Amino acid sequence: MRVRGATILAPVALLALAACTNEARTLGPSLPQTAPAGNADPRVPAYQANLYQVAQGGRYFMWYGCSGCHDDSARGAANLSDGRWRRGGGFADVYRAIARHRPAPAYEATVPVEQLWQLTAYVRDLPAHHPEKRRRVTLDQEGEPQGSQWSGPQ
Amino acid sequence: MKPDPSLLEQLDRTWRDPPGLWGFLTTVDHKRIAARYIVTALLLMFLAGMLALDMRWQLSVPENTRMTPQLFNESFSLHGSTMLFLVSVPLMEAMAFWLVPLMLGARNMAFPRLGAFSFWLYFGGVLTLWVAHAIDITPDLGWFEYPPLSGPAYSPGHRADIWAQMITFTEVAALAASVNVAATILKMRPPGMTLARMPVFLWAMLIASIMTMFSMPAVMLVTSMLIADRLVSTQFFSVAAGGDAVLFQHLFWFFGHPEVYIIFVPATGFVSSIVETFSRRVLYGHSVLVLAILSIGALAFGLWVHHMFAVGLPRLGNDFYTAASMAIAVPAGLQIFCWLATIGTGRTWFPTPMLWILGFVATFVIGGLSGVMTASAALDLQLTDTYFIVAHLHYVLIGGAIFPLFGAFCYWYPKATGRLMSERWGKVAFVLIVGGFNLGFFPMHLLGLEGMPRRVYTYPAHMGWDMLNQIATAGSAIAVTGGLVFAANALCSYWRGKPSGADPWGGSTLEWATASPPPAYNIPFTPRVDSLTPMWNGGAPLPALDGIAIDTREVLVSSVTDAQPLYRQKSAGPSIWPLVAALAVSAMFIASIFTPWAIPIGALPIGAALTGWFWPNRPRAKIGALEAAP
Ligand code: HEC
Ligand code: HEM
Ligand SMILES: [Cu+2]
Repeated sequence: MRVRGATILAPVALLALAACTNEARTLGPSLPQTAPAGNADPRVPAYQANLYQVAQGGRYFMWYGCSGCHDDSARGAANLSDGRWRRGGGFADVYRAIARHRPAPAYEATVPVEQLWQLTAYVRDLPAHHPEKRRRVTLDQEGEPQGSQWSGPQ
Repeated sequence: MKPDPSLLEQLDRTWRDPPGLWGFLTTVDHKRIAARYIVTALLLMFLAGMLALDMRWQLSVPENTRMTPQLFNESFSLHGSTMLFLVSVPLMEAMAFWLVPLMLGARNMAFPRLGAFSFWLYFGGVLTLWVAHAIDITPDLGWFEYPPLSGPAYSPGHRADIWAQMITFTEVAALAASVNVAATILKMRPPGMTLARMPVFLWAMLIASIMTMFSMPAVMLVTSMLIADRLVSTQFFSVAAGGDAVLFQHLFWFFGHPEVYIIFVPATGFVSSIVETFSRRVLYGHSVLVLAILSIGALAFGLWVHHMFAVGLPRLGNDFYTAASMAIAVPAGLQIFCWLATIGTGRTWFPTPMLWILGFVATFVIGGLSGVMTASAALDLQLTDTYFIVAHLHYVLIGGAIFPLFGAFCYWYPKATGRLMSERWGKVAFVLIVGGFNLGFFPMHLLGLEGMPRRVYTYPAHMGWDMLNQIATAGSAIAVTGGLVFAANALCSYWRGKPSGADPWGGSTLEWATASPPPAYNIPFTPRVDSLTPMWNGGAPLPALDGIAIDTREVLVSSVTDAQPLYRQKSAGPSIWPLVAALAVSAMFIASIFTPWAIPIGALPIGAALTGWFWPNRPRAKIGALEAAP
């Protein structure tokens, strides 16, 4: 059993149910080895409602060079933060749009399944991101190998 | 001097708190406020100690699966942050709160309501960190959270914000407390207690308070910058935008290093008091001790870079900070020799408080030596972020501050409760804690030298670290058991201990002149002082100064160097406003984690609370300065 402040602050524990599971962080090997089986796949909340998974998706979004085309100035279908989805906005829809991305490449050939889950969660979260904040995050991640700067595994 | 009972009754009517809950919420009695601080901090020490034991359990065997990496990260972050920000520093402040007025023969602190405010705000910081823990938003980046790791890109969510805001809470509380302590010591000394006749304890508290005032703003600034980076996307620590991530480390450690001396310097005050009383002689080298503390206070601000040798500063820079770090061993050594000389030349006896002093000297010297080792930039490159550092920091923090604190607890316990703690159980606890601690933490030096990193949740089996880790865990468990014995002893003695009388140890300073526990008004009369050890005057009654009102709360204000009485000053009575103000400030701090609007909007209730606090409570003067009566 984990020693928690809850022992002295029992009433507050109630809040836990309502509020903050979105902060949970599981490191290490985890769940999905397969694509979502529809928009209501029970595994979805563990990604979509989790800040850490969404943030990881954001890093891969840079690593795989998505941000090169899908930046703030992208227009039409390539604009991912306008809340309009050509290929559907459900989790499985967006997942499929990335996995079988058009224009090519189809990312399912190169990106591991779990990272596709994280990318999907991030892309679906994008409409809620403030552009300022997104720019600030990008600045911090400037040093990471991304898109064309990627020089292979280190 | 035997005060007559009607005087005492009048004083009691003037100074006691209203009864019941209202009294609890409004009190400005420095003893009650300090007791709250102490009880809260000891409870947290227990919780953080349990976390530590849990970590040691995880590390006792290789590839243990009791904790996930994330839980381990949270555990050491919560343990370290709690122990430093919510336990050590507040405990030292609380001891000052409790003892300074008593040792000055004063009726209260200089700013009674600020004292209450300080506690409530500290309590807000405690709740921020531990309620967040209860709902699983525990900070997980250690007790110093460097960007970019703690920045917006790599720490989504609010874990880092909780840590940063907990710091804001505790630092505002600490600043309020320090200002109060310094003003009290400088302006409320009894007639005759010139600076030259001020006990070392008061010097230590004064210097620690001044250090707090100079160092805490740096960390408040830097955590506020971090919050701004995270909340409103400023670029203080964003290298790509021309910000500077190393700036965070500089500002943090500009506070962080003095912080360890803010914990250690008050401890030297405890040691000085205890050594003097039990050696039955005036401290050997009083002025040397005071000057040593002063120079530690000054030098402590010039060493922070030794926490950053691995960052890659220029060679000459590293050399300079190596030299400065080693220099601090000189005043620290002088202090140790003064205490040893006092013990050696006095008519010394060794009840539990003195045993803690011996435990302190032995342990702190080891911690000091490993400190001199890590102060060498070249060696530090090898040792940094290994278990050697974990050993070093616990030797100086536990040996240098917690052991003297336990000694001080035993020494002043009879004054606070009117009862003596059991000597036998006191000794059992001492042996368990000091023995267990050394057994548990000494092997960590070797683990570090063998390359075991700190902040890892497990290690593979073939590294040759198994045996030492098991010893470390066993020792920690013994020490924690000793801590429980200590606590049980304190609790039982509260009801069952032998009555102690006013002065069980034959103490040298003024707090022993009043009853145990001290009444609400502290002491029936204002003493006059003519030596460093006013209570050692051959049993004669203390000379007293008369003329301070007894039917209203009034204190004596005296001059800074000579303690000449200057004037009588009204002292603030119980009030709900400090609590209201602390609630308003807490609401603003917490809300500003979520939205920048909290700052302008939250300022309004704070303004309202402060207006209530400072509302004039005497009628407007009828005659202005210009028309002063002839
Ligand atoms: C070469 C530029 C380019 C790159 C690189 C790229 N995309 Fe796209 N993407 C596009 C364009 C153009 C469209 C719009 C296609 C259309 O008109 O239907 C699109 C469409 C999408 C859509 C569907 C949007 C909708 O409205 O349904 C998603 C989701 C998406 N991309 C995600 C990604 C992710 C994730 C990556 C990185 C792994 C990525 N893209 C990399 C150019 C790119
Ligand atoms: C018996 C009591 C204690 C035990 C068993 C204990 C044990 C530990 C352990 C296992 C760690 C983690 C080491 C790692 O893997 O990095 C740690 C870290 C730490 N401890 Fe303790 N500890 C105790 C008491 C204290 C006290 C009293 C203080 C302060 C006054 C303290 C301050 C710290 C700090 C600052 C850290 C570093 C946290 C970090 O890495 O961010 N500890 N302790
Ligand atoms: Cu230091």
